[in-house]
Order: sequence, then structure tokens, then C-alpha cells
Amino acid sequence: MIPKRIILIGFIIWVVLHMWQVAIAQENASSVVSINLHTLSLEKATMCEGIKEYAPVNQSVAFSLDIGKIFCFTSFDIVPSKTMIYHNWYRNDRLVTSKRLTLKMPQWSTFSSIQLREADKGPWRVEIRDKNKETIKTLRFSVTD
Amino acid sequence: MLASFFTNIRWQDILDILVVSYFLFRFYVLFRGTNVFRVIVGIGFLWIFQRIAGYMGLIVTSWAMQGIIAFAAIIIIIVFRNEIRNVLQAKNIGAILWGFSHKVAETPVQIITSSVYELAQRRIGALLVIPGKDDLEELIQSGIPWRGVLTKEMILSIFWPDNPVHDGAAIVQGDRVTEVGAILPLSRRSDLPSAYGTRHRAALGLAEKSDALIVLVSEETGHVVGVKGDHIKEIENNLALEELLRTDSGMSSDYKGLREKEKLSLALAAMAIFLFVAGTWFSFSRGQETLTTMEVPIEYMNRDPNMELIGSSLNSINLDLSGGGTLIKSIRPEQVKVRLDLSKAVVGLNEYTLTSENISLPPGIILRGVDPSVVDVTLDVPIIKELPLQVDWTGKLPPDLILANVILSPERIKVMGGRKILEKLSTMYTEKVALDTLKASGSITVKIALTPASLRVAENSKDRLTIDYTIRPKLALQ
Repeated sequence: MIPKRIILIGFIIWVVLHMWQVAIAQENASSVVSINLHTLSLEKATMCEGIKEYAPVNQSVAFSLDIGKIFCFTSFDIVPSKTMIYHNWYRNDRLVTSKRLTLKMPQWSTFSSIQLREADKGPWRVEIRDKNKETIKTLRFSVTD
Repeated sequence: MLASFFTNIRWQDILDILVVSYFLFRFYVLFRGTNVFRVIVGIGFLWIFQRIAGYMGLIVTSWAMQGIIAFAAIIIIIVFRNEIRNVLQAKNIGAILWGFSHKVAETPVQIITSSVYELAQRRIGALLVIPGKDDLEELIQSGIPWRGVLTKEMILSIFWPDNPVHDGAAIVQGDRVTEVGAILPLSRRSDLPSAYGTRHRAALGLAEKSDALIVLVSEETGHVVGVKGDHIKEIENNLALEELLRTDSGMSSDYKGLREKEKLSLALAAMAIFLFVAGTWFSFSRGQETLTTMEVPIEYMNRDPNMELIGSSLNSINLDLSGGGTLIKSIRPEQVKVRLDLSKAVVGLNEYTLTSENISLPPGIILRGVDPSVVDVTLDVPIIKELPLQVDWTGKLPPDLILANVILSPERIKVMGGRKILEKLSTMYTEKVALDTLKASGSITVKIALTPASLRVAENSKDRLTIDYTIRPKLALQ
């Protein structure tokens, strides 16, 4: 016969160990969540001819001067805190303009644009950079006749 | 200026002058005394006047003289072709190039002596006046100016009985008969022998009033008589006449002297020709000192093969050059070189000062200045860098289509080039790709544009890429 006291102590030890394991698991789980929540995540970046209902229209890699204006659309699905990003527009490796854009929690979409002129024909790129000027993504396109 | 002239003279210039001088001297030797020579000397003077006219800016005069000279040159060849042919045909090539013909055959004394005794032998009356220092112009009347060369045949002709001037006197000066048919003043002496006729009186008349020597041949007796001052003397033979001519008239009968005289005249001619050619050369090539500026590309040499010439502050420099107008005009671009030795160049910026050692010029051209004189040359060590590729689209799609997406294969390329160049590059572009011909999604292969040209595709990389492109209908924005 196993004494009731031993059974009780064993039960208490099992409960404590179980709770400890659960606590560790919960702690691990919460730390993973916290990492994801603290990293800016770019969901989508594209060049387009316009923005309609908060979405890019006519995404393209070659834009005619006829359309007059082009947009760089970026959408972030995780914005851990209010921050800023930069859209750096380059033509032929020469920085033409740098647009600073604000992102707000928890998700945010934003865009920048330039007006096209005759002298703008040629290869372009837009570098999307975070607040530390680290490049998140580069979009390449051309402005044509 | 003179010192500068002699230091800058080239051996080619000296040879140039000597060759042309000798050519002209040979021309003088071959053609002297001919009509061709006289005409060519005239043309030579015309040419000098033409140059002077050109120098003074007399455009029409210069132009007209040029025309006359050109025309005269043709005329000479046509009109004097026989004379030219005679000169050239009569001589072998050696005689044309370096032979001398000695023209002295007889001295005037010998000519007069032989002529007089020939006349005496034929009993032809003659009266020859050899003037001294006195001027005979007022004493002699009706003389016909002639200035013919003294020859035996001419003297015989003058006194030939049928000749209209045979009764007059012939005036002989040097090797020329200056006048014929001259009327001499008659002597009024009454103590003359009855055998003396008018010719004797005329000879005495002139001799009394001047220091001239008169030689006469009696038509009646064939005797030869010499008259000077108050003295009248019959001359026995040719040797006595020669002696009389030499002592009383001062005429030379010396061959050697004449040969020396001829040599002297040739030497003077050679000197004159040399000075003329040297002067002409000077006026052509040195006289008009000309300044010019030439833009000359720099040649970079002896570069370390492990380094690349990334850039230089200059591709060409301006050289200020001076020299004779003709020399300056004749400079060919390949004759002027600017070379920079890069054997001691290091990676990075190298500064060089250009000196005359870096510049090679044709002979006779002087370097006056270099602008700019400092060249910065940048060398770099080649590196390999991997760069993203981007399509350089041009043209446009139909208005209802849009180039939605492209996929490049490969997406990146390894490029080899100077470190400093590649550090600045972040993208490699394709050659221009036209959109106009694209109608639907597809794939094309295009070349990569390697700019600047010093870039090369690294090994294991291709200079082409494939573009898979997607074309979609365009949505209306509104």
C-alpha cells in the first residue's frame, strides 16, 4: 500500500512541474510574439500609375511620360511603433529626391510620387529605407516616351 | 636673333640651300651667255618683285606677276627649245652635272693683231681706235654705236670695202667694238710725208688731241702703222703690234689672267647664287616666324599592366609652336607627339608636369609653351564587383497595355574594372530595349551596356541576360 502522503507529495510535484513547463512554454510563446511585433514588415512595394481606394492601380515597370505622374506604393503589415521610412528616388544612380513618410501602428500603407518631365526619361529605381537608412527593398523601372 | 637663327638651323636646311644653290649654279654654267639665261634672269627678277609685292600686300600686282611668270616659263620652253636642246644635247651627263667649259679662246690683243695683219695682207684699209683715259666723245663724230663682241670676223667685216662704214674708224674698248664708222678729226700738220692719206691724217688728228692709240692699215701699201700722241710709227710685224697694244693701250694679252678672271667671275656667280638661295630660304622658312597652337592628344605609356588608367585631367593639351611659316604649315599631326611615361605611377592620383622631354616635334619647330602643363592621372587596381541588372526600356507600349512585371535571368552580373569606378556604380543597365514592338507577354535576350568602356564582364558571367516580361491590359484610373 502506498501511503496517501507520498501520493499527495507526488501529485504536488507533478502539478508544480507541469505548471513550470507551461510557464516556460508560455514564456517562449510570448517572446516569439514580441519579436515579430517589434520588426517592421513590408508586405508590398510596387510602382504604379495611380492609387485607388488605398491600393495601387496599373502596377508596372515602364511608365510613359504621357501619364504625367508615377507612384511608389508601400504597404507594411506590421508596424511595431510609429516610425518613418524613406522613398529615395534615383535616376541613373543619381539621387533625384528623397521622400520621408510616416508609418503608424499596427499596419500602414503609404506612397510617394513624382511628376514626370521630358528630362526624366531613363532607368530609375526607388530604394525603400527604414529610419536607419537601411534598404528594405529596391524597385526598378523605366520612364519612357 | 642671328644666334637663334644658327642654333635652330637644321642639317636639312643646309642641304636644302646647297642643293638648290648648286642646281642654279650649274644652270648658270651651262646657259651663261645664251638668250635663255638672260630671259630666265629677267623672270627671276620678276619673281623677286612678285614676292615683294605679295609681302607688301599688293594683291593685284602680285597676281599679275604670277601670271606673267607662269606664262613666261611656258614661252621660254617653246621659243628657246632649240637653244636648250643644244646646250643639253651637246654635253654628257658628267658635263651637265660638274663640267666647266672655258670660253676664253683669244685675247683682244691677239684678235686685233691677227685681224690687222689679215687686213694688211689683203690691202684693206682700216682704222682702229683703242681709247686711253681721255674721253673721245667730243672728238669723234658720226660714230654708229654697236657694242659688238670683238672677233676677227667682225673686224674684217667692218672694214670690208663694200661695207658702208668701212671708211670710218672702229672704236675698240676691251673685248667690244663700241662704235663703227666714226669720223676722226684730221691733223693739220704740214710735215707729213706725201704718201700719208686721209686715214693717216685722221689717226694723227685724234692722237694729237687725246691719249688714244690708233692702229691703221694703209690701203695703198698694206703697211700697219701705230699712232700715239705726236708719234707715228710703222709696225713691222704682229709681235711688235702686240707689244705696242700691251704697252701703249694697257690691254692684256695674258691667257692666265683671263682664266683667273673667269674663275673669279664663276666664284662670284656661285657666291651670288648661294646668297640668293640662302636669302630666299630664309624669307620662306625663317623670315616669317610663325606662331601656332596645336591640340595634341596625350599618349600614356609604360603603364603597369596590373593597374588601369581610370581617368586623367586631360586627354589633350595645347602646344604653342613657332617656326618658319612653311615649316609650320607642313606639320603633320603624326609628327607632334606628347608622351607620358607611367612606369613610376602609383595607385591613385599621379601629378605630372609636362616638359619638352615629353614632347617630340619635327626638326626646326620650337616649343614655346604647353597649356596646361600639369596632368593628373588616376590609376587603379582592377576589382570584381557583383551588381544588380536593370532593363533600360525605351519607346512606349500601346496605350491600352501595361508592362506589369519583368523577371531577369540572371538578376546580377560580375563586372571587372577599376576600384574607384566600381565603388560608384550600383547598377548595370542593359542596352536600350524598345517597347514599341512588344504586344504580348514573352521573352527576349539583350546585351548589357558596359559603361564606362573600361569595364569588362568578369569570367563566368555573361554579357547578355534574358527578360521574361508580362504585359497586361491597362485599367482605367477613373
